[in-house]
Amino acid sequence: MPPIIELNDIYKIYPNGVMANKGVNFSVDPGEIHALVGENGAGKSTLMKIIYGMEQPTEGQVIVDGLERHFHSSRDAIDAGIGMVHQNFMLVPSFTVAENIVLGQEPTQRGLLNKQQAIDETIHISEQYGLRVDPEAVVDSINVGMRQRVEILKALYRGANILILDEPTAVLTPQETQELFLAIRKLVEQGKTVIFITHKLREVKEVSDRVTVMRQGEVIGTLPTSEATRESLACMMVGRDVLLSVDKPPSVRGRKVMEIQNLNYIDDTGRCVLEDVSFNIYAGEILGIAGVEGNGQTELVEILTGLRPATSGNALINGNFVLNKTPREVRLAKVSHIPEDRLTNGLALEASINENLIVDRYFRPPYRKGASIDYDKVYELGAKSIEEFGILTPNGDLPVASLSGGNMQKVIVAREFTSEPELLIAAQPTRGIDVGATEFVREQLVKQRTDGTAVLLVSADLGEVMSLSDRIIAIYEGEITGVFPDAASVTEEELGLYMLGIKHQSTEEMEELL
Amino acid sequence: MIRKLYMKPAVREFLRILLAITISLGLGFIITLLVSEDPIGAYRAFLTGPVSRINRAGEWIKEAITLTLLGLSVALVFKAKLFSLGAEGQMLLGALVSGTIALFVPLPSVLRIPLALIAGMLVGGLFGALPGYLKAHLNANEIVSTLMLNAIALRVYDYFLIFHIKPEGAGYNASDFFPKEGVLPTFIPNLPFLADAYELFSRRANITIMLYIAIVVVILVWYLMYRTPFGYELRMMGANMKFARYGGIDTKRSVVLTFAISGVVAGLAGAYLGMGIHQKLIANITIGIAFEGIVVALLARNNPVAVPFAALAYGYLRAGADIMERSSDVSREMVLVIQAIIILLVTAERVLPIIQQRVSAMRENNKATAPEEGGQNVV
Repeated sequence: MPPIIELNDIYKIYPNGVMANKGVNFSVDPGEIHALVGENGAGKSTLMKIIYGMEQPTEGQVIVDGLERHFHSSRDAIDAGIGMVHQNFMLVPSFTVAENIVLGQEPTQRGLLNKQQAIDETIHISEQYGLRVDPEAVVDSINVGMRQRVEILKALYRGANILILDEPTAVLTPQETQELFLAIRKLVEQGKTVIFITHKLREVKEVSDRVTVMRQGEVIGTLPTSEATRESLACMMVGRDVLLSVDKPPSVRGRKVMEIQNLNYIDDTGRCVLEDVSFNIYAGEILGIAGVEGNGQTELVEILTGLRPATSGNALINGNFVLNKTPREVRLAKVSHIPEDRLTNGLALEASINENLIVDRYFRPPYRKGASIDYDKVYELGAKSIEEFGILTPNGDLPVASLSGGNMQKVIVAREFTSEPELLIAAQPTRGIDVGATEFVREQLVKQRTDGTAVLLVSADLGEVMSLSDRIIAIYEGEITGVFPDAASVTEEELGLYMLGIKHQSTEEMEELL
Repeated sequence: MIRKLYMKPAVREFLRILLAITISLGLGFIITLLVSEDPIGAYRAFLTGPVSRINRAGEWIKEAITLTLLGLSVALVFKAKLFSLGAEGQMLLGALVSGTIALFVPLPSVLRIPLALIAGMLVGGLFGALPGYLKAHLNANEIVSTLMLNAIALRVYDYFLIFHIKPEGAGYNASDFFPKEGVLPTFIPNLPFLADAYELFSRRANITIMLYIAIVVVILVWYLMYRTPFGYELRMMGANMKFARYGGIDTKRSVVLTFAISGVVAGLAGAYLGMGIHQKLIANITIGIAFEGIVVALLARNNPVAVPFAALAYGYLRAGADIMERSSDVSREMVLVIQAIIILLVTAERVLPIIQQRVSAMRENNKATAPEEGGQNVV
């Protein structure tokens, strides 16, 4: 069977001189699930944007269904039966699901939107492909997984035969990921073709038929998934062997650094988000919080770092109260924080790398001299951080926005690790970054802990929590459901039961271990 | 070499403004052609008017000084991605307080002038801090609050001017001229060897020492913005308010401080209106200029060092437009249209960047045959 998409010798050079694709050859067979993997900045997204008509190749051939095509915009690509679901959803939040799906090709009645027909069509297409949505829900009010389904349905509604999914699982919980995979398989059964961009090698193995690996703008190889192992793929991606399992020296538990007592948080809507949460964190250990996203972890981290006031409870660091203090006061108590959403909280994109590195210390010596900031010291710190943390950039004066996701995260890690914390709170520290950067961040976390820092790790990646943590707490609906003093001895299945609230240790049982 | 120069942001920025001005002047001329009997004469008045006589040049520079201060005041707030329309009120109160001191406090000029200026700045700063406080602690929209506070300041100014300051029985709403001790001196010192220049300027184009003060303020604001911890806080708030908070910056305090400092500079501009330009307090003293700081800050892209140049350029336009109106058959309205076109083009963020992209995309296309020239991928 001839390929449904064929790219020949694609070059893409951006106006700023960045060469994102260097002679890429890529083909997709009809009816397959084709995974495209590579580190951040490997040129995957650019390649997909070329197929989707959002970017025009500098050179090279795009062949769809045997015809050479020159897409000038994504509209041309849509007309050719190509649909794309972006990493950042492009839905109108105030519209309903049905309205979003038909947007641009609305069924009309005397020039007005025919709402009933829009709903009917949404139900029809939703049943056809097994993607469950509530057509009348307002997008603002639905969760990420549902929004993604809406995006996919939107593409299908426009007649897409080939569906490009740009890192679809980055924002999903494990359950939602499984549902997505089911839906993808169903789509393929009905004759669709799916291109699936991801970082996560486990998902490649799980769902794809063939896999293409890209590195630094080039295709390293395409192979049937059955012939690939996670280790071999990782090696192709980064060009060297990567440790997927984390090597760590045994934990030496030190003194108690943080003590959290009976923490409660009730949000604006009156929902009890955290209920009577108590635990301690000791120097020299990584305490992992295992839980399905949205069970209070985000709020817990924000409360502990001073970004959100708690309703009641107590938190002490080295015996000093830190609850409901300002972020500055918490930081001065030697707490570092890798935020879960690096673009919203962790970085100022238009500011330079150097300026992003000093937000927690610009006001004190040696960075402050008299009435002004000592920029010589700032440049020194920048140069040192760039070297030590391997931030890929010509110099520290460039805006953070010029970096790839992995390198942005390295900027945050550089800042939070060089402040010599006693407690490091890391929320989703490797989310959405490539294998190389992930490995680096994990190594750094372990290094901090081995050097005697107390680390609180919150991650939606259960594998990450299990392999990095020394001790694990399971959380479900804002309540601690289980404590596992030896992370190495607990299985994924057992932890899952606590994360889903099926099992629950008794208070006495837990108190001993906290 | 030329390419290298072109790569410098400052050079590019300059070219961008130059191109925008050229295009808009061209458009302006077309409009003049349509509405004037003597378009060449009218346009000449517009283009060369401000430098055709020394007193006109003086008017231009004097206004550019006011515009510089106002531009700085607005740039400070804009840089933090906040908004303020409060310059009018801050100027009015600055003018009122400094004018009162200039008129009535019996001190020699070496004391009276600094006292008046400082008092003007202080009151401007306090009045400026008010919308900042409302914004930071009560989340009041700063656009609304600054506008409302302007209305209050205007009434306060009018009240004191009409009932307390204007000479009894006068048929106009203005104070007496300030005594010599309360007026800013000419920028050229009255020294024997400068006597001729002093004479010329003090009689025909009264540019005052505010020229020097404005330059100092430009440097101070630049230093504040780019070298001090507060400036860092201000810029980080502008870049990402949530990041500033996450990083430990006391954003409430910084917002109040930003508005206060902006008010200090506007208060100084107000003092200058009384003590430098009009040399008395008049009704509607800020009319026609109160909101022009926004244009200047936009032109200068909130860069304090670029503000005086933007103020000179924009002041020139204003002066030229006035002269064209007076000396030709082009109506004020048409002059305003031409002005608006220029501002629109110069402040349009996207005009040149789009052309730049096209040009470089074309160039990259030609270069694509030799791909090894392309930079390594760091995105």
